[in-house]
Amino acid sequence: MSLPPAATGPVVTQGDGLARAAMPDGRAPGPDADEALLHVTDLVKHYPKRGGSFIRRQVGVIHAVCGVSFDIKKGETLGLVGESGCGKTTTGRAILQLIVPTSGSVRFDGREIIGLPNRETRLMRRDMQVVFQDPFSSLDPRMPVGESIAEPLHIHGMWDRRSGRQKVGEVLTLVGLEPRHAGRFPNEFSGGQRQRIGIARALVLEPKLLVLDEPVSALDVSIQAGVVNLLDDLQQRLGVAYLFIAHDLSVVRHISDRVAVMYLGRIVEIGARDSVYHRPEHPYPQALLSAVPIPDPRKERSRKPIVLEGDVPSPENPPSGCRFRTRCWKAQEICAQETPALVDRGGGHPVACHFAEPAQVV
Amino acid sequence: MPEPDRSSGEIFSVENLTVTFKTGTGDVYAVRGIDFSLASHEVLGIVGESGSGKSVTAMATMGLLPRNAVITGSVRYEGRSILGLSEKELAPIRGAQIAMIFQDPMTSLNPVYTVGWQIAEAIRAHQDVSKEEATKKAVALLQTVGIPNAEARVSDYPHEFSGGMRQRVVIAIAMANDPTIILADEPTTALDVTVQAQVLSSLRTALEQTGAALLLITHDLGVIAGFADRVLVMYAGRPVEVGTAEDVFYRPAMPYTHGLLGSLPRLDSDERQPLRQIPGAPPSMTAEPVGCPFAPRCPLRADICETEEPPLRPVGLSGNGAGEAVGAASGHVAACHFADQVVGMPVASMFPATSVDQEEVAS
Repeated sequence: MSLPPAATGPVVTQGDGLARAAMPDGRAPGPDADEALLHVTDLVKHYPKRGGSFIRRQVGVIHAVCGVSFDIKKGETLGLVGESGCGKTTTGRAILQLIVPTSGSVRFDGREIIGLPNRETRLMRRDMQVVFQDPFSSLDPRMPVGESIAEPLHIHGMWDRRSGRQKVGEVLTLVGLEPRHAGRFPNEFSGGQRQRIGIARALVLEPKLLVLDEPVSALDVSIQAGVVNLLDDLQQRLGVAYLFIAHDLSVVRHISDRVAVMYLGRIVEIGARDSVYHRPEHPYPQALLSAVPIPDPRKERSRKPIVLEGDVPSPENPPSGCRFRTRCWKAQEICAQETPALVDRGGGHPVACHFAEPAQVV
Repeated sequence: MPEPDRSSGEIFSVENLTVTFKTGTGDVYAVRGIDFSLASHEVLGIVGESGSGKSVTAMATMGLLPRNAVITGSVRYEGRSILGLSEKELAPIRGAQIAMIFQDPMTSLNPVYTVGWQIAEAIRAHQDVSKEEATKKAVALLQTVGIPNAEARVSDYPHEFSGGMRQRVVIAIAMANDPTIILADEPTTALDVTVQAQVLSSLRTALEQTGAALLLITHDLGVIAGFADRVLVMYAGRPVEVGTAEDVFYRPAMPYTHGLLGSLPRLDSDERQPLRQIPGAPPSMTAEPVGCPFAPRCPLRADICETEEPPLRPVGLSGNGAGEAVGAASGHVAACHFADQVVGMPVASMFPATSVDQEEVAS
């Protein structure tokens, strides 16, 4: 791999060194400049549920993700929020092709990536990298972090002895660490620092999209703040797009341009950040937002959280029609019969509810 | 420590509590001297990050620490010292008058008994009632904490409940004997936000119905803001700031509290200001710190901070603003040599909004 001249300078001051414009290894920019970087349509992932202990025949289907569609533009952050089991992580992994979706289409950079031959999938992965939640299990404890960071370069045949080392130093600087840390081992770093190393490893190939799966939820708040700032900063400098998967609605508000809320395998509301946070229209995001405690005693005591009844139904046997109807205070006959489409119902952003109505809950 | 209003009835007090763990590799100074008291019906919130000693404090007061913990100081419940009591002597107090809720409900529930049996058992351990009466009461308690279809679910086992429902069963058990104090250690930490809302609403109901005081230990400042009358902030095994929720949230007097509040992304803010970051990391507790334990991370650090650990002192005695005088009257104390300067200081002038790593790499 030959680095563009700008990238050989200190990246901190010449942020454009890793910018998208120059594609040093000959990767062409997308054919259609107007098309979104990532275009997900009707993504479905069903897992077989197997019973018994010996024969393991299929006894049911887990409907993990059911017809999810969204776009991510270049350099944009889409926050994908929802509670445990809503399918947000499965969605991220299906996009990365780490699991094979049951059906649907994922277009990345103008190209359908589902069903690509392995060789081409690997090529595509250069442009689409991932950062996982747990910084303790995603690094090899016996490998110096510099080598962990260089590994993607080796895998993609882009390692060059001279510039490779420099490249590792550059990404370490980029994530707020120092090139001299390359020889250290993971156990010498704190949780926040390991997460920075995970981000460095994801960035070394100069991807166009980073899938971040709960990247700060394992960190204490004072450390989390630094990593959130880093992600903000990197996006401004590198123009990389983020799919930010998280359950923490405050962090998502801070970092996202647009937000999608999932419930039981479906997106129930999606739109510009402020639009969704100021005027949520679907009862579920309303309940979700109303339940997040705000660290301000007077404000928090004057709020009244919407407390939902019962538990999330099993994804093995989801309710007919609207999946939220079993816990919804607005539910009517139609909600059981007809699945509400995710369309703009006059509130400015798409919402999947027959009785959508904006409410201020934050 | 400020004297609590005795007329409202101080029921629980902790004085100069220390906990040191003896380990193979040396001593760990987990709690280095904490005083607090709880009045009846009061909610005291204890906040701090991982390793600040907040949970160890709670476990120590209840006699739940392992044998390698050396505990000194005093813990009084209704005037009677309960530190060092035998299991037998503690039995009538722990679980009945002082009920406990922990982060993982399965530490409190037995997987091989139905939840109804377990609630009835808790009732019959402390009250002289028949099995039938106890079971009836168990159903009523499950209804109170918001378990749908309680009559049927009373004969289910813990594994048949979701995590949030289990925590509500634990709250029902906590309520069973009309406690005077509920001690909740990170009761909603592993839960989803709508489930957290359900559990907190059950906890609120429990407080209303039993009139118990609550000692709420959590790292979540939002939960504290909604619940606590008074707040105690812990750092490196000691309280560094104590005051009413208003004092601590609106007029923090310790740089650590300031930084903690500034580092939170806010649900109620459109601003995309970078978050404030406290540089460095909390100290290792394997050595007793010299000077203020927050000094290495503190923007106001001066020579005195390196040598002298500041005690908790009333805030605003030397102050000039009206707000600060109010702080002193309400028992607002902080462990900082410069507390009076910190009050009212904008957080932006203290902590960097940087994306560069601020911790040191271990060597």
